[in-house]
Amino acid sequence: MPDADAVSLRLSHVQAWYGDSQALFGVGFAVRPGEVTCLVGRNGAGKTTILRAIMGLLPRQTGSIILSGREASGMRPYERTRFGIGYCPEERAIFSSLTVEENLALPPAVCAAGMAKADIFALFPNLRTRGRHYGDQLSGGEQQMLAIARILRTGAQTLLLDEPTEGLAPVIVRQIEHVLIELKRRGYTILLVEQNLDFVLHLADRVVAIENGSVVDDLETRGSEHVKARLLERLAL
Amino acid sequence: MMDLILGYLTIGLVNGSFYALLSLGLALIFGLLNILNMTHGVLYMMGAFAAWAGSRYLGLGYFGGLVFAPLCVAAFGVILERSLLRRTYGLDPLYGFMLTFGAAMIVQGGFQAYFGSTGLPYAAPDWLSGGLDLGFLYFPAYRLWVVAVALVVCVIVWIAIARTRLGSILRASSENAATAEALGVGVPRVFAATFALGAGLAGLAGALAAPIYQVSPLMGSDILLVVFAIIVIGGMGSIGGTIVSSYALALIESLTQALVPQAASFIVFAFMCVVLLLRPQGLFGISVVRSHEFLAARLPWIEPADKETAAKRLTGMVPVFAAVAALLALPMLLYPVYLMKIFCFTIFAASFNFLLGFAGIMSFGQAALFGTAAYLTAHAAREWALPPEAAIGVGIAAALVLGIVMGIFAIRRRGIYQAMITLAIAQMVYFVYVQASFTHGEDGIQSVPRGVLLGLIDLRDDTNVYWLCAAAMLAVLFGLRRLINSPFGMMLIAIRDNERRALSLGHNVDAYKLAAFAIAAFCAGVAGSMSAVVFQLATLSGVHWHLSGEAVLMALIGGIGTFGGPLVGAAVLVTMQHFLSPFGAWIVAIQGAVFVLCVLLFRDGLWPHALALAANLRRQDATSKSAEVPQAMEAIGR
Ligand SMILES: Nc1ncnc2c1ncn2[C@@H]1O[C@H](COP(=O)(O)OP(=O)(O)OP(=O)(O)O)[C@@H](O)[C@H]1O
Ligand SMILES: [Mg+2]
Repeated sequence: MPDADAVSLRLSHVQAWYGDSQALFGVGFAVRPGEVTCLVGRNGAGKTTILRAIMGLLPRQTGSIILSGREASGMRPYERTRFGIGYCPEERAIFSSLTVEENLALPPAVCAAGMAKADIFALFPNLRTRGRHYGDQLSGGEQQMLAIARILRTGAQTLLLDEPTEGLAPVIVRQIEHVLIELKRRGYTILLVEQNLDFVLHLADRVVAIENGSVVDDLETRGSEHVKARLLERLAL
Repeated sequence: MMDLILGYLTIGLVNGSFYALLSLGLALIFGLLNILNMTHGVLYMMGAFAAWAGSRYLGLGYFGGLVFAPLCVAAFGVILERSLLRRTYGLDPLYGFMLTFGAAMIVQGGFQAYFGSTGLPYAAPDWLSGGLDLGFLYFPAYRLWVVAVALVVCVIVWIAIARTRLGSILRASSENAATAEALGVGVPRVFAATFALGAGLAGLAGALAAPIYQVSPLMGSDILLVVFAIIVIGGMGSIGGTIVSSYALALIESLTQALVPQAASFIVFAFMCVVLLLRPQGLFGISVVRSHEFLAARLPWIEPADKETAAKRLTGMVPVFAAVAALLALPMLLYPVYLMKIFCFTIFAASFNFLLGFAGIMSFGQAALFGTAAYLTAHAAREWALPPEAAIGVGIAAALVLGIVMGIFAIRRRGIYQAMITLAIAQMVYFVYVQASFTHGEDGIQSVPRGVLLGLIDLRDDTNVYWLCAAAMLAVLFGLRRLINSPFGMMLIAIRDNERRALSLGHNVDAYKLAAFAIAAFCAGVAGSMSAVVFQLATLSGVHWHLSGEAVLMALIGGIGTFGGPLVGAAVLVTMQHFLSPFGAWIVAIQGAVFVLCVLLFRDGLWPHALALAANLRRQDATSKSAEVPQAMEAIGR
């Protein structure tokens, strides 16, 4: 059992570059087990880059990334997933040459408590009948669901979700929001990038605001009116 | 006649089996690692040697060898991938291409030096020595066996990739290795395993081929190019398509052998050109757009941010001035033929350097242009008794025409495909010269008369030829430099950096690329014609693809996209060949090792290092100390 101070994920002084241009300037924050932490910020603030830094997907980065108490910087991306991390990228990255079932089965299990198929189909009924379809035959919403389902299968307890509702129809957005609420209820640790402030305040235990590659605010969401006003002002949304 | 055709068809089936095993592995490696594996031919050859060595030293029987050889070659493949190839991942695919080219030279050169070029016999088991008489056709049992084994293995691999979990991991990693890894797939192991699989298939092909063709170090060098052509024809992304094309093309090839023997050696390459014109994605390929996307990787040594430095590099020509002045002032201190060889090779390397460095076009067929010019100049001077200026003109014009034809095909694709296409066309040209009578085959055109240039300058005097060579080199280097700084050159660089943008701005991108190709062909022609005059000789080695490889090597050693790089690269290569000649047969292997080291350590080439060193020295003079490690040293890799 993790003690009260334990964190699932801690970033300190993380800097990152794309070629010669710096994208992150000493980012630091922590994600506690069982909590939902939301990253908010304007387009191009560096939210996606932070998730990619956690996964070790950037060409060049410095600073410390601690996953379940172990220093992970220097590890390859696939080694990082062994700490129970599941990454759902912004572009969803469903493999078009794989069927839905193959996409689901692709990521190796990282812990024994992976979600059963029946459970997954209960969460995402749309996927149930699509097992033999290829990835590029799915709609955007289905791809998003598959991208989330894919990491739940592995038994990952910490989920990194990059704008899972971006560009989807309202009814699908609501469906995915329900899934996120359900995942929180089940005790998953979630680091979520999300633009919809109302939903963020509804779901998040903690909000980290990013601006120009730095953390500009790191707030608990209790007393949400105050937080919302502050975030609105911060982000000039 | 019918019997003859049927007989050739059985040969076609056997060759198709080898092609299928090889192209399958090559396509898998290319699809996943994005590396055009130039070692595939030597892996095949190593398979044959492993089977031979297993029987000779370990007392393995034929079947033991059939298992032992693929395992050996796969193990070698893993070592190669883990120790060398992985250092090129994430870089432009051209580095992987060059690295495997160098590795292939090491292996082939080493085997050739150790075993010689004569074949070693390897026997098939007795019970496979008979044949199957189908009444209308006699099918030797061993050939039937080869076809059966290859088909079974190919189908198993095909099904495994299409249906199993391991196959889905391979497909996912080929599609997007970074995402697959972020999902937890152990991509490094997948890469190693895939390379091992491809190498193992090549090894199996080699072991199967050993009893039919003799075991010889050269057995893989020609088959490699045919297999490349098959992949281009079949198209990427379709394993079934690759297998089908292998057999189909082998049958076409053997049918041609029966009907028009002279055309057999290049029918596959001709077929490839037709396919590229009519259906650029290949017969079974998915779509051009996708494979273009796949290969659109930009050359890292000339990123747009580097544009200023590229210009700076060009202005940094002062040392070249000095170096050339020195060479001109002291021509007689050094052996003139050695200097003239450097000059000719400089022009040749500059041609490749211009194409790749400034137009982003990868030509691996420059030797065809060089050799064509050399042959025609030699022929015109000797048989038609033309004066040197006319003979040189004829040679250059021929290279120019061939270059334009080559360019028309080459600019239809990019990156590695482009390299393959130019290589295939050059190979066709090579086969034409092998068969044409005017080239005098292995002997070449000898004792080419030099004559009197413009009726004024007597080229029979070595000093005068020396001046002519030096002048040609300077004209080419500075002419290209002028060109690069002209609006035309700026446009080429813009296209190189972002072709789509240039297209959307309404520029005729293809015309620019073709013009670049023609200019490079002209330069290669100058180099070839000059070499015919200097050495009074034109031979097959001037058209061989090894010479194209040397153009790449020189440009790489010197620094691609630099002004003085070709000169430095040519000087290094020629000097190396000069000093390595005591090593005799090992020279190819040593050259390969230099190639590999260059790719690993000096990806920027020596020229930028030399400039940095010179700048450093100058600064040290002024401020005594402040050593600065050339930034290119970062290039050593992870
Ligand atoms: N592949 C890349 N190459 C170069 N620069 C990049 C690349 N990806 C992102 N950037 C730059 O890094 C900065 C941060 O980008 P990032 O994608 O992390 O932003 P974001 O907060 O996720 O934005 P969005 O809300 O639009 O998804 C931006 O300025 C962007 O232009
Ligand atoms: Mg983003």
